Amino acid sequence: MTEPSAPQRFGPTEDLVSRLACGLRPVRRLPSPLLLLGFWTGCCLGVILLALWMLGMRHDLLRDAMGRVDLLHILSAGSVALLSGFAAFQLALPDRDRRWALLPLPAVAAWLATMGLGCVSDVARMGWAGLRPGVSLPCLFFILGLGLPLALGILWLTRHAALLRPAPVAALGGLSAAAFASIGLTLVHELQATAMVLVWHGIAVAAVTAMGALLGPRLMRRAGHADSSRSG
Amino acid sequence: MSLAALSLSGPALRRVSEAEDRPARDARWAGLMQAAQAGNSRAYETLLRECLPLLRAICRQRLREPAEVEDAVQDTLLTLHRVRHTYDPARPFRPWIAAIADRRALDRLRGLARRRGREADLDAAENLGVAGDAEKRLLSSDLRAAVKNLPESQRAALQLTKIEALSLAEASERSRMSIGALKVATHRAVQSLRRKLGGDP
Repeated sequence: MTEPSAPQRFGPTEDLVSRLACGLRPVRRLPSPLLLLGFWTGCCLGVILLALWMLGMRHDLLRDAMGRVDLLHILSAGSVALLSGFAAFQLALPDRDRRWALLPLPAVAAWLATMGLGCVSDVARMGWAGLRPGVSLPCLFFILGLGLPLALGILWLTRHAALLRPAPVAALGGLSAAAFASIGLTLVHELQATAMVLVWHGIAVAAVTAMGALLGPRLMRRAGHADSSRSG
Repeated sequence: MSLAALSLSGPALRRVSEAEDRPARDARWAGLMQAAQAGNSRAYETLLRECLPLLRAICRQRLREPAEVEDAVQDTLLTLHRVRHTYDPARPFRPWIAAIADRRALDRLRGLARRRGREADLDAAENLGVAGDAEKRLLSSDLRAAVKNLPESQRAALQLTKIEALSLAEASERSRMSIGALKVATHRAVQSLRRKLGGDP
């Protein structure tokens, strides 16, 4: 009978090490999360500017100063976009603490509070009729239409997380993309019924985030396979 | 602590000296990984070989079976190879590799739990009471079950390279796996089957 430790010392794992090392190719080191965030933000702002150029900026935004709710909405959505993007780039690295996932929570709370504030101001302005539920499909389609392609972009940038923790990274990436899309929508679309429209922003953002979490890991793995086929 | 002193010491003293040398070793590992990122295969091989005891220790904390531990270590090596560009030499190497190993061991543990959950006692019942070729059928049933329990990538690699006998390039194109990954997956699939069916390793 052979000694149990013998195959471990000179077994297939050691063969695998030799195989992996044989013909090793140099790799380009991944930029830091902060640099990636800068790149990601630049790309998103570029896409938003393109949307503004194609659809035109809101008339009331050009005519008057932005309303308080609009400004708060843009600031809180911007914080969500930046913090969730940064958290996604951090979490995509193996040695980072999983608590990075909590980073955007205060900004998300602020964003929800902005929506609440919108509802309160509507009630003050129009009475309870201001809270009448409605469906704002253009908002939904705009955020899905802009948010989903942007989400693909951040999934590509974090594709190395496919083998580590793909779901939280994809969800945070989706959240960041959707928040950027929501900022774009605020600049393009007039918020006539603030509360209702803001709630639809929230629904659309949640949809993009959920799609990111559900489909993201699979897309990341595909991108990862494509990479490994190229690099060997 | 010199190498000569290490070789002269007993296991306990050796452990102490390793603990003492840990910062120096971590710094050396970080340097080796940096060289590996630049394409230095000797540095890479040295690093991976030196890390194997650490990887085994981490995987052993999650898994009991030595074969499962070894598979988790191999998974870790494959993952590490694919994400080697994510290592930042300004940060310590140990937490980076330890996080990957822990993740792979945990995945394997979850996979084991899922497989055990799926296993049904009635699987072999179809073979009961069959005259003549019962043993043969049991064997083929075992083989089918063993193949079914392989991870998806290994099953696909086995199917394409061994059963359909495609060339590596064709199999790579069909499976969207790199040739290297395909070779490793086939090798591991065959090994795993041998182990499960009681053949020589």
